[in-house]
Amino acid sequence: MADVYVVGAAQTKFGAFPDESYRTLFTEAFESAVESVDGEFDTDSIDEAYVGTLGVGGRQLGLSGPAVTEHAGLDGTTCTRVENACASSGTALRLAVLAIRAGVADVALAGGFEVMTDMSADRTRYWLGVSGETEWGRMSGMTFAGVYAHMAHAHMSEYGTTREQLSRVAVKNHANGAMNPNAHLGFECSLEDAVNSTSVADPLNLYDCCPTSDGASAVLLANEDVASSLTDKPVRITGTGQASDRVGLFQRQTLSSIPATRDAAEAAYDDAGIGPDDIEFAEVHDCFSIAEIMAYEDLGFCDRGEGGQYLESGATERHGERPVNLSGGLKSKGHPIGATGTGQVVEVFHQLRGEAGQRQVGNLSCGLTHSVGGSGGAVAVHVFEEGWA
Amino acid sequence: MGAYISLPTWWQNLEQRYRFVLGECLDCGAYNFPADGACSVCSSLTTFREVEPEGTGEIVTKTVMEEGAPPEFESYLQREGTIGVVIVELDEGVLVPGMLTDCDPYAPERGDRVERTIRRIYEQEGIVRYGAKFRPVVE
Repeated sequence: MADVYVVGAAQTKFGAFPDESYRTLFTEAFESAVESVDGEFDTDSIDEAYVGTLGVGGRQLGLSGPAVTEHAGLDGTTCTRVENACASSGTALRLAVLAIRAGVADVALAGGFEVMTDMSADRTRYWLGVSGETEWGRMSGMTFAGVYAHMAHAHMSEYGTTREQLSRVAVKNHANGAMNPNAHLGFECSLEDAVNSTSVADPLNLYDCCPTSDGASAVLLANEDVASSLTDKPVRITGTGQASDRVGLFQRQTLSSIPATRDAAEAAYDDAGIGPDDIEFAEVHDCFSIAEIMAYEDLGFCDRGEGGQYLESGATERHGERPVNLSGGLKSKGHPIGATGTGQVVEVFHQLRGEAGQRQVGNLSCGLTHSVGGSGGAVAVHVFEEGWA
Repeated sequence: MGAYISLPTWWQNLEQRYRFVLGECLDCGAYNFPADGACSVCSSLTTFREVEPEGTGEIVTKTVMEEGAPPEFESYLQREGTIGVVIVELDEGVLVPGMLTDCDPYAPERGDRVERTIRRIYEQEGIVRYGAKFRPVVE
């Protein structure tokens, strides 16, 4: 089985870009990813492209994959659009990894895009929350924030997780995002601001929620033969895991955890031959503050129910024992749905190569990305290690 | 246009919309809601025996939404200011989601008893869709 390396990774800025289209954003991310390769990268060498998008707004719902790759000059390249809600490009990454491992591709592209800020409020309402369970969850009045609010209520009731612990997720991630020039909300926030902000879906307030954003991201993968000709700073994907679960929260065995994260993480750790203790830093899916706290537990960084205290201990801060969301996470960097999963890879790629600029944290050798679709109906987890196999 | 429930889709499950009618898996005996497709416990593709629940249960989790609602409920939110949504464990042991009604949505707590009551859920394409909501049980 071929080893898989990340040879290039880039994203556009995440934010609101009324002058851009989903295609121009994708092309910008792709061109930046090509430029990020150390050696001379031949775009004709891409055997397979997987592009994630939820398709917010309609635009080009059918064939939205080829619609962006043709714009990026890859019109002869085999392309597949991938949809797994907010885990769309996390899933695209996995498919690209599997294609190289299988020997079907020597070089593969994984990426994603979304444009979410250019619609009227009326139309936006029809698109937000389409990844929640529709027939019963949405029809009982729940938005997506509402679904995660139920999880927060369950976690607070079962484990005593506090309002302040939820807000500390926002404070930490905004502090990181303030150092990221690509962040949508690149400003710091105080604990007081976060605790006292306006209620959205009690117990979640505005600072518990990530923004909706426009943006794109692209990652170039290659087998060892190709990668060794392109770089001497290898980043290897050593573990891939993915899991699915019931779409509706009320149909799961637990409301205070995301079982698909546990399953995907276990598969990724097994695949890499490591355990959670080996993960030095992570980019996790903090669409809502409670999601990051549950991720600590479900990824095995701490015991079940202790996510709030783990955060409060400072372990996941920039200079903690295991920094989480050094990029600013979804909360501060932004969440253009289809671009988010491969967007996480960009931070891991730079950190492992020591190229994260002022966000660089020492010498890191093992990181993880965690991409959640919906409220946990699909999860993809990947492990990245510095060095050759 | 985004997510959408057609009228025929709504009508397919009226007994679940009105009374939370459950399905007992003929293979493992588990109660399912909605009873549709494979059993949620044993994954068997068996048929279900209909079970009429009492329509009462306990609140497991709750949210009160103030900012933003699905478009079907935006006018309700504008009018009422809040939407209370609960996940309730019916006395038959099955979780179902539903809207709170006939109360200040901030008042009920986890563990409080609620019962179903038929209410107008929303209106689309000129047709009012009715279904069950939850209200606190008055002892």
